[in-house]
Amino acid sequence: MITTAEAIERLKTRVGVDGPEVTAPVEAGHVRRFVEAIGDPNPRWTKEAPPTFLVALAPVSLHLADAEEYGQGWLNGGNRFEHFAPVNIGDEVTSKGRVVDVYDKAGSSGNMLFIIFETDYTNQRGELVARVRGTAIRR
Amino acid sequence: MNVQVGQEIPELVKQPTTRQLVQYAGAQGDFYEIHYDQAYAKSVGLPGVILHGLLKAAFLGQLVTDWLGDRGTLKTFEVSYRGVDMPGNPYRCRGRVTRVDGHDVELEVWGEDESGKRTTVGTATVDFRG
Repeated sequence: MITTAEAIERLKTRVGVDGPEVTAPVEAGHVRRFVEAIGDPNPRWTKEAPPTFLVALAPVSLHLADAEEYGQGWLNGGNRFEHFAPVNIGDEVTSKGRVVDVYDKAGSSGNMLFIIFETDYTNQRGELVARVRGTAIRR
Repeated sequence: MNVQVGQEIPELVKQPTTRQLVQYAGAQGDFYEIHYDQAYAKSVGLPGVILHGLLKAAFLGQLVTDWLGDRGTLKTFEVSYRGVDMPGNPYRCRGRVTRVDGHDVELEVWGEDESGKRTTVGTATVDFRG
């Protein structure tokens, strides 16, 4: 177990550094399993991906071993989706994630570490289709 | 488009089950044990397995896109998870129009647990140009 200051110091070195790019096709079967899992039968999702689907295409938070040395578990604090263009079945999407901020906050059950992740999603034509932000909390 | 500030959109009530959590874990590729392993969830101080925040986000996304239909597009969507939710309880998704500016409409959206507590709160912006 490391201290809050140590965790923040280590994680700060990751801020602004892009993680590896991941390219994946938007497959009909995957979108179907996703909409079945969320229980959304809208026929629109037989051609287009539903609003939160991109999180299934690539991990939204980078695996940060340094963060996992702190606290006992992860919580998701929030997410923001910005959609710039539709994501259609058959598209090939490249995602690139990074840590944008790290800070701590005192909570009712002790200190919590906040890590803000951001992932950009680009389609096969090089268009930025979405940006997803997530607040991962380590406590 | 007939949309007015203050208007509440039709609510969406979901009935999440542990089976759905496993289904969602597989579809999203999030295999964090707090969503399907009761003993693990309790070992990290949770009352039991809990809903994925992103599953609740998907429910609220559906709330907005069900209302929108083919009239437009969901542009931005932001949610903050304020509390944990357990499978086996209904999850009530609601929203209200907060701003109308030509084709651009802003909504507040939220998810309530059985007691009416807003465990997820957020905003959405939609574009009625399609």
